[in-house]
Amino acid sequence: MSETVKARSSNEQVTLGALFIGFLKVSLCGFGGGLVWARRVVVEQQQWMDEQEFAETLTLCQFMPGPNIVGITVCAGSKLRGPIGAISAVAGFIVIPWTVGLSLGGLYLRYAHIAVLQNILGGLSAAAAGLMIATGIRLLMPHRGRRTALLFAALAFTGMVFVKLPLLVVLLGLAPLSIAGAGIESARAR
Amino acid sequence: MNSPSASVALAAHLAVLSSISFGGFPSVLPDVHNLVAANGWVTDREFANYFAVSQVMPGPNMILMMSFIGLKVGGMPGAIASALATFGPPCVIYFIAYRLWDRFRDMPWQRIVRRGLAPLTIGLVIAGGYVMARAGDVGWQSAVVTSGAVALMLRTRVNPLWILSAGGALGGLGFL
Repeated sequence: MSETVKARSSNEQVTLGALFIGFLKVSLCGFGGGLVWARRVVVEQQQWMDEQEFAETLTLCQFMPGPNIVGITVCAGSKLRGPIGAISAVAGFIVIPWTVGLSLGGLYLRYAHIAVLQNILGGLSAAAAGLMIATGIRLLMPHRGRRTALLFAALAFTGMVFVKLPLLVVLLGLAPLSIAGAGIESARAR
Repeated sequence: MNSPSASVALAAHLAVLSSISFGGFPSVLPDVHNLVAANGWVTDREFANYFAVSQVMPGPNMILMMSFIGLKVGGMPGAIASALATFGPPCVIYFIAYRLWDRFRDMPWQRIVRRGLAPLTIGLVIAGGYVMARAGDVGWQSAVVTSGAVALMLRTRVNPLWILSAGGALGGLGFL
């Protein structure tokens, strides 16, 4: 299976238009969980990557700064058509949805002072904040047995929220310690 | 506001933040909030509004949210500059990283670095949610909606869009 998938992507030249449209679809469908659609389009529908390659790419992207889905977009475009492919894919992902979002959102925000609209926004914002907190908690679950992990998650939270340090300071200050902690952990586990 | 220098300062700051936004852009929200609040560019209410609107749009929400801030600070050029600063640097980093990926593959240190960075990014994502909840906060009712959203998201497989709609509906009906 993965043989045929690989053969397809190296023999057939994927068009720049197909990359643009493919990632436009990922972007427009990606309400709430963009990753679901990225996998659907890239692996199932277009077979631009096989399952394994997609998972590896995602890991790479999670390891790097920036939005993970944009990362997958860049990697898939770059794999299939090099730099120009990456640009086409990112353009597909961003240009149209951004224009639509800015116009519609801008229109809504222009009337945001109207009480009912303001109340709706208040409710949306409260719910969206909850979704973000829940996503963080979900991500934390695999690490819940690691005391050092919980400690550093709490320190990062405290540094940002209560001490109000700049992100760069929090990351540069905590990352070496946290990585050292993970190193000691894995040395002990061995 | 419409000041070109403010737009440049905002874009430069966003470019730095997006280059270090491990764990995705939500992790840099508290920092952006501190910046715009300190400069008086955007009120807490507006910040929460931008967040809410960008969350219900499909596509790249965080790029959109930063563009709304850019729009307020420096009009359309500000919006475009903010968008570019938000996704440009990560795109370049992703592109180079993907090229180097084969060299790094299977290195044991990579796993350790990942395990070390993960808790920090997770703490930052939760901080992002917390700061947004506070920025939009108008009372205990909002806190209930936020907590309810957390619980629904963790306990059920409800489409997040329904949770957002429910929050918007409760707000629209005047419960918050």
